[in-house]
Amino acid sequence: MNRFWKWTGGVLGALLVAAFAVLSYIAGSPKDVYGMVRYALPHMHRGTLKVGSDAPDARIVALDGVSRFHLRERTHERPLVLVFGSFT
Amino acid sequence: MYVREAHPTDEWQMKSNLKDKDDVCYAQPKNLEQRLAIANDFTKRFKYPLPFGIDDMSNAAESAYSAWPERIYIIDESGRIAYRGGMGPFNYKPEEAREWLSARYGAVKREAPKTPADAATTSTSGAAAPTPVAPSTPAPAAPAK
Repeated sequence: MNRFWKWTGGVLGALLVAAFAVLSYIAGSPKDVYGMVRYALPHMHRGTLKVGSDAPDARIVALDGVSRFHLRERTHERPLVLVFGSFT
Repeated sequence: MYVREAHPTDEWQMKSNLKDKDDVCYAQPKNLEQRLAIANDFTKRFKYPLPFGIDDMSNAAESAYSAWPERIYIIDESGRIAYRGGMGPFNYKPEEAREWLSARYGAVKREAPKTPADAATTSTSGAAAPTPVAPSTPAPAAPAK
């Protein structure tokens, strides 16, 4: 039994190390793995919206910082392409 | 649509940001004024020609559309989702949206970008241009004429 747990622990440890190595390779470095797990994964969601779903409305701030508009105000006349992103 | 920064200096900053000749190094905005400053810097620096909006500090649009770090949607005239792009950066594929629009409304002639700044207007994150692939959302047939 003792030998079984040793093997199980060894295999799990090896898998963890391999997973960390693969993630480091994908992300760029071990530090990037931390960044990805700490800052990216909590915010990345596939979401529940599907093609055919009603488009959610949201109140958006214009570049002047004063004006506000609703996404819904920009639909209905023609298709609206929404491109979400940031600078960094 | 400007949403939370993806790689700010105080979170997960990428080495590529440091090497970027345009010096894209910002901390995560803590208030709307800081978001406005970054968004305005972006639009001015790249002469961004399209209508631009900013998600407020409640991140309502980001949450509703699961939009972080980058994503594309097309809403049709009936107010429904007509195209849902994949999660960026790996599944951020402007070509898919362009193909959808072309299939629905006809191809639009595009001039090749003349400067890097022009090219940058096609992506707000600096992600590498993805390889064109078949759209994940089938485009509807063009309307009968």
